[in-house]
Amino acid sequence: MLQRIRAHAHKELLLLLRDRTGLLLVFAMPLLLVTVMAVVQDAPFRDFSDRQVRVLFQDLDDGPVGAAIRQGLEATGSFTITDGRSLSEAELRDRVRSGRHQVGVVVPANASEVVAAGSAHAMALLFDPLTGDSTAANVPDSARVRMVVDPTVKHMFRDLVRGSLQRILAGIGSERLLADMRARIEALTGDTLPALDLRRPLVGVAQELAAGELHGGRVAADSTAHNVPAWTIFAMFFTVVLLAGNMVKERTSGCMVRLLTMPGGAAERIVGRIAAYLLVCLAQLVLLLGAGLALLPLLGLQALDPGPPAMLPLLLAAALTVGLAATAFGTFIGSVCRTQQQSAILGSTTVVLLSAIGGIWVPLYIMPQAMQAVGRLSPLHWSMEAFNTVLLRRGDLAELAVHLVPLLLFAGVCLLLSVVAERVVSSR
Amino acid sequence: MTAPDIRVEGLVKRYGRSGSPAVDGMDLEVRPGEFLGLLGPNGAGKTTLIGILTGVLAPTAGTALVRGLDVVKDRERVHRLIGLVPQDIALYDTLTARENLRYFGRLHGLRHEVLNERAEALLERTGLRERADEQVRGWSGGMQRRLNIVAALLHAPPIIFLDEPTVGIDVQSRAAIRELLREINAAGTTVLYTGHHLEEAELLCTRVVVMDHGRRVGEVADMQRGEDRERLEDLFLRLTGHALRD
Repeated sequence: MLQRIRAHAHKELLLLLRDRTGLLLVFAMPLLLVTVMAVVQDAPFRDFSDRQVRVLFQDLDDGPVGAAIRQGLEATGSFTITDGRSLSEAELRDRVRSGRHQVGVVVPANASEVVAAGSAHAMALLFDPLTGDSTAANVPDSARVRMVVDPTVKHMFRDLVRGSLQRILAGIGSERLLADMRARIEALTGDTLPALDLRRPLVGVAQELAAGELHGGRVAADSTAHNVPAWTIFAMFFTVVLLAGNMVKERTSGCMVRLLTMPGGAAERIVGRIAAYLLVCLAQLVLLLGAGLALLPLLGLQALDPGPPAMLPLLLAAALTVGLAATAFGTFIGSVCRTQQQSAILGSTTVVLLSAIGGIWVPLYIMPQAMQAVGRLSPLHWSMEAFNTVLLRRGDLAELAVHLVPLLLFAGVCLLLSVVAERVVSSR
Repeated sequence: MTAPDIRVEGLVKRYGRSGSPAVDGMDLEVRPGEFLGLLGPNGAGKTTLIGILTGVLAPTAGTALVRGLDVVKDRERVHRLIGLVPQDIALYDTLTARENLRYFGRLHGLRHEVLNERAEALLERTGLRERADEQVRGWSGGMQRRLNIVAALLHAPPIIFLDEPTVGIDVQSRAAIRELLREINAAGTTVLYTGHHLEEAELLCTRVVVMDHGRRVGEVADMQRGEDRERLEDLFLRLTGHALRD
């Protein structure tokens, strides 16, 4: 029996090696996809520390407030700031509308005066309650810092600029209030008070990942970390097209009739075929991991972090299980299709569809809730979760098993249906 | 009297819910060493009968035995006794001839040395040895037909089924195949042959059974007798009629 299984596996590998288009499909195409998609998705995956938002800054105040706002924006590290002091309002608007700058920030001419007036009003309320004006300081619209936004800019970028401005303005106001308050107290007591630095928050924020290393403030799910496992999974599942095509060709060419008159049965043929395609899947894993480690960094992308050597057995377990699921799915498609055209269309369409909803093209978490629910049913999503558990979460076998078990069940169901389909064909 | 190599009794095969059965109560015996021709027009049920006898198709009713083994219950053991030359070229066209033969030989459990020895001998015998490392898809139809037969003979089966083995090939290849078939029959192999070439059947077969509409409709018991050879086409048309079968 082992000799026959080896013979089937050897034959499948030979058929694959002789199929140049097929080789391009299972090796070259995924390599190209992982490279292109990693580069294309690099920008969306980067966090905002990479100075992505181009801000046209117009300081009409020319006072301490305007300077403090610019300084505050620069200090965030999230913006590339261009000075637009010499522009008219119309010119500034045009530049933003044309996309040369994503956001325009206009600090009004009287911003410093308004802050000073507001602070003075507050001091009067605090220190001269009997004579001071208790009504709120009236800030005219012309005194507000304005944002002019390119309509194509995503909401999260707009929110980033608005949030930064609000934080900076709150800081400026607080500092001014504190400085005025200190001056009034010093005047009242004749003492000299120490200066307080409000830029250092009393309670800070610390960021860490639930697992893995924090790479210089970047989140771990960068373009490389997403695309390498994603397209490895896609490549493994895309072998469905070749596998199913070869099965159908075998059946329609008459080879199957000959095989049906030979010792051994459907189970041996299926096991042999799975063994061959598991080797192909492992070769794909090595190729695409290699691309993540060596090729993508050459293109300016983050190198893949495969984790410590201790994670290698888990990575292998994940790859073999995903390969098994993909091969079983291909066997099923090959068993139910009657022509090579059918198997090519059905195989490629289902894999592309399952990959799209399963979070291969873009991560599942940025999809709408309804699509996320649908995507969780895709075996390619389970595959992605398995790889993420190893590569990003640094999970253990128990955590990995949660994702491998559904894949094994999926493979089992596909193989069962394939055996039934082959028996139906052979007993007709 | 020796037991027949092939015995068929009341065999019926119905595809799905189709009205008339493809094989309809067929009875047949093939004796050891016999070269039996199973002739009939298109749709007579010849290929279906071979499909059942080789375990590819399940019969609807009746019995089919190969050397006393039931082709349904003892399929695995029957497969060790038979070789099939299908109507189609049952070869992997992107593999070389040697790779095809190695694959089929290993499925039959042949040891490496035995497999190589037999494959080389058969390739030599059929004039294919020199080009045996080429992919089959680049070969002529005649060469592919010859290799199609070699693949069925690799494990030296005592019984061989030929389903139109010389269809669509040139005269030279057909002559070479006939010579090979005569040789293996002379060496004791039982042959069940189907085809449309009455002339070929006259040259090769020791006995001919005519089938039509899934039934046995006539027989020429001894093809070695001169008068039988002359009458075969007339007999065929008398038994199966002149109506076209498309």
